[in-house]
Amino acid sequence: MPVSDQELTSLAATHDIISVGMLADDVRRRHHGLTTTFVRVADVPADIGAPVSIPAAAGEVRIVGTPTTRMAAVERVREVAAVAAGASSAALSAYSLSDLEQLAASEAVTLRALLEELRAAGLELVAEAPVDRLRDARRSVEEVNIAGLVLARLTVDQAPSADPLPFLKSVAELQRAVGVLRVFAPLPRRINPAVPTTGYDDVKRVALARIVVDAVPSIQVDWARYGPKLAQVALTMGADDVDGVSADDDASGEGRRRSPLEEIRRNIRAAGLEPVERNGRFDVVTR
Amino acid sequence: MIERLADKVRAGERVSAAEALDLYRHAPTALLGRLADGIRARKHPDGLVTYIIDRNVNYTNVCVARCSFCAFYRAVGSSEGYVLGFDELFRKIDETIAVGGGQLLLQGGHNPDLPLTWYEDLFRAIKRRYPSFRLHALSPPEVIHLSRLSQLPVPAIIDRLVAAGLDSIPGGGAEILVDRVRKLLHCDGKATADEWLGVMRHAHRAGLRTTATMMYGTVETDEERLDHLLRLRALQDETGGFTAFIAWSYQPEHTELAGREATGVEYLRTLATARIVLDNFDNLQASWVTQGGKVGQLSLAYGANDMGSVMIEENVVRAAGASYCMDEVEIVRNIEDAGFVPKRRSMHYEILGDPIFREREVPRMLELATARQDGDTSVPEELLNYPARSRTGKQLRIIPS
Ligand code: SF4
Repeated sequence: MPVSDQELTSLAATHDIISVGMLADDVRRRHHGLTTTFVRVADVPADIGAPVSIPAAAGEVRIVGTPTTRMAAVERVREVAAVAAGASSAALSAYSLSDLEQLAASEAVTLRALLEELRAAGLELVAEAPVDRLRDARRSVEEVNIAGLVLARLTVDQAPSADPLPFLKSVAELQRAVGVLRVFAPLPRRINPAVPTTGYDDVKRVALARIVVDAVPSIQVDWARYGPKLAQVALTMGADDVDGVSADDDASGEGRRRSPLEEIRRNIRAAGLEPVERNGRFDVVTR
Repeated sequence: MIERLADKVRAGERVSAAEALDLYRHAPTALLGRLADGIRARKHPDGLVTYIIDRNVNYTNVCVARCSFCAFYRAVGSSEGYVLGFDELFRKIDETIAVGGGQLLLQGGHNPDLPLTWYEDLFRAIKRRYPSFRLHALSPPEVIHLSRLSQLPVPAIIDRLVAAGLDSIPGGGAEILVDRVRKLLHCDGKATADEWLGVMRHAHRAGLRTTATMMYGTVETDEERLDHLLRLRALQDETGGFTAFIAWSYQPEHTELAGREATGVEYLRTLATARIVLDNFDNLQASWVTQGGKVGQLSLAYGANDMGSVMIEENVVRAAGASYCMDEVEIVRNIEDAGFVPKRRSMHYEILGDPIFREREVPRMLELATARQDGDTSVPEELLNYPARSRTGKQLRIIPS
């Protein structure tokens, strides 16, 4: 049942985090039942020539960083795609759509032309689109689609304002216009270290995102960025997909006693949910 | 079935062991939170959430108990073993007072080279220098250790410590109050479940208030976790001496027991269940030190009414891999953000006032201090005045460094 504007306003203002979480959980169960997907990611740097190692367990190989030139962006995709093709069946993702917008503008090419070049070099997914940094969100997301690429996730660079509703409504509006968003990660990527977001802020933002942005199938939280404890609680309040799970199973060097795969499954089960591994193409991975 | 139990809790009725187990195992997390929050609101209708400014000091890490879940202790004779000197402790108290604190939470290992007189002299020296400063010190296993070391009964130890300046006893060392679990954790030797409860009973009878704790997530079953809560509830019925309950999750890094830490959702479920079972406890603390600030703050929706201490210093949990920090500004921000009114309190939960940083300038604290700087192996001079039990201790007394 859709929630009225008035109800949304009172949900956004309330401190009753459990009530908001329960409503969001209802929406989440309607979409996914208990299923909670996660993707194991291998990050590789954007610098040309930097070593590329891709663990066999990776479901998504992600080139992270800002490319300096169009040539460098394309060349790095080509390099990583060549290694990935021989080593893994993971999907190759790269870059932020806002960085690509800027790169296209600075090199006086169209965004579509740049995206098509990246695709020809072996790219499958644009890794993220920080909706608050995009110059023309609707058009740029559509260009990704037209260029034959997929957007891995719509993200948020910085928490927009104290009242998250207008922003979330604009994301819902964007999906109504483009219809291709698969995943929305509503927690800000950039955090003010002097005033970090609180647990209430984070879970409420996740819950409201689930309620307001009903037409985007998945609400995602990042395991590594926000920490397992907060991310796990968020799964009980509207989130259904986990990003940033390490693909490196041999983590003993970091003193970890359990593999990331065991840990993520244990955490999802302890939240009363059912873990399902997916790859960057959103296909279920069976091991 | 769960709905019937939920109604019972809502009506303010006491739950049995079997009912508590049913709720803990089968109630949805949101329902547990709702029930626990309802009890918190009944007990604290004013919407206050309290915290204390005190310093968590570990006077020695030398310990003969060797609990398998502990990453903090060092064996007698270890080059990493330390005992803090009186002057070091005075300095820590000065720093605590500077940020508005009025108490030390003083706990340490079972060091055979620190006799009862060392504690008495320390407490007296502190009270002489800082008459109104409070000493929340020596958990039940430490009291038992002193009883064994000095061959005096527990009530006599408590009386002597109180005479020297002890104000209250922290509830550490409870782990899980079930002897099967304590044996497996190699901590039945430091105190059995009955012995731990016995010290608290004596302390309450002597007029001291104490806290109660639970370290969950090692080898205990769900039933044993609830058994722990029920034993605390029974003693609280008898004495009414517990001011608060604090649950924290076992921290496995660098411990002999190893394993994994219970998850954040398990923490919130355990906390909420504790609020439901411990119907005779007024106060439940959030353990941000083990859960981090975010889940620490979310605890306020799952039954907690207190954010614990700003700590200033922490050694035990850090040794086992967790290192979170929340100073007063951060604690207050989190309380207000959750819709509550922050108030400073004493160990006895008397309201002391509004946040101190709003009254005067207080330095920000972005990292918790440690007992000592790395590599500081100094041995306090006054130790020479006290007889040692261990061979290393005796040698040190003869050849001071
Ligand atoms: S938990 Fe306490 S008693 Fe046990 S080994 Fe550590 S310091 Fe010693």
